[in-house]
Amino acid sequence: MKLIAAKSILKANDQLAVENRQRFDAAGVFCVNMVGSPGCGKTTLLEALFSHLRGSLRLAVIEGDIAGSIDAERMEALGVPVVQINTEGACHLDANMTASAVAQLDLTDVDLLIIENVGNLVCTAGFDLGEHLRIVVLGATEGDDKAVKYPAIFQGSNALVISKTDMLPYTNFSIPRITADMKRLAPDAPVFQVAALKREGTPKLAEWIAEEKTKR
Amino acid sequence: MHELAIVEALIEQVGTELDRAEQKGAVKRLEIAVGRLSGVHCDSLRFAFNLLSPGTIAEGAELSIREPSAISRCRQCGTSTEITEMVIDCPLCGSPEIAIEKGRELLLESIDIED
Repeated sequence: MKLIAAKSILKANDQLAVENRQRFDAAGVFCVNMVGSPGCGKTTLLEALFSHLRGSLRLAVIEGDIAGSIDAERMEALGVPVVQINTEGACHLDANMTASAVAQLDLTDVDLLIIENVGNLVCTAGFDLGEHLRIVVLGATEGDDKAVKYPAIFQGSNALVISKTDMLPYTNFSIPRITADMKRLAPDAPVFQVAALKREGTPKLAEWIAEEKTKR
Repeated sequence: MHELAIVEALIEQVGTELDRAEQKGAVKRLEIAVGRLSGVHCDSLRFAFNLLSPGTIAEGAELSIREPSAISRCRQCGTSTEITEMVIDCPLCGSPEIAIEKGRELLLESIDIED
């Protein structure tokens, strides 16, 4: 006999993601999934965002890495509650790993939860973690052709952050090109330019995230 | 690499569907749809299926993969076009404002069970 299923193969993940989101909503937590290549500056951006938002929002962080806890230690040094997930080889976080990490946080003490995904522009695209916003970070040194080459991650994102813009004079990276490509993939997503070590552009991004939170 | 995780999810879902339908027969064939813009590589998927299915409910099943075309629709002139890449302009009016309508599917469509 033939059994008709007609369901998403990732249905189990998607269902868990919905449950995560319900959990966040019930606790008044706004959740951001930050994705981007290894070395694009996600952790440095997190440090900058924390410095801008610490006065107004209580932040917590989930760090996804294949191994080690270097990123978690950086956030811990700032006094941010942080849970490290080691995927032990897996190239992306999923909703199940996220749920286990969230269980280790006291959500009543959190307003904004930022999940730093495993550095990867491919595999992270298919897995909803239960976030409210997905932000993709692209370093100015990575090249302006990445939206064309890795469209899925850009298409599903709510904002593009171009990082390391202080390096722009030393590259042939074209802001108009990446902006035009992003516009095709995600017409409603704003594009931010930041140099996180110098805290340039990061206040504007922090402000936008805080504003998005109030819309929920 | 995430094809392994997708095959794990697929096998788990086959089990869920069989339980739901209260079927215990051997799985002969799985039909899945992998859209051309889903970001999933069909050869890697087959490789992962051969690697992971032995010892599971899907052992010995044939994996049949349909690859739906990618279709975009222009937000300006409304034309629907089959596309092969995501970052394009409308071939009719040249507008960059296009929406992807089909091609991102990742579906378990049907399961053939031995009677």
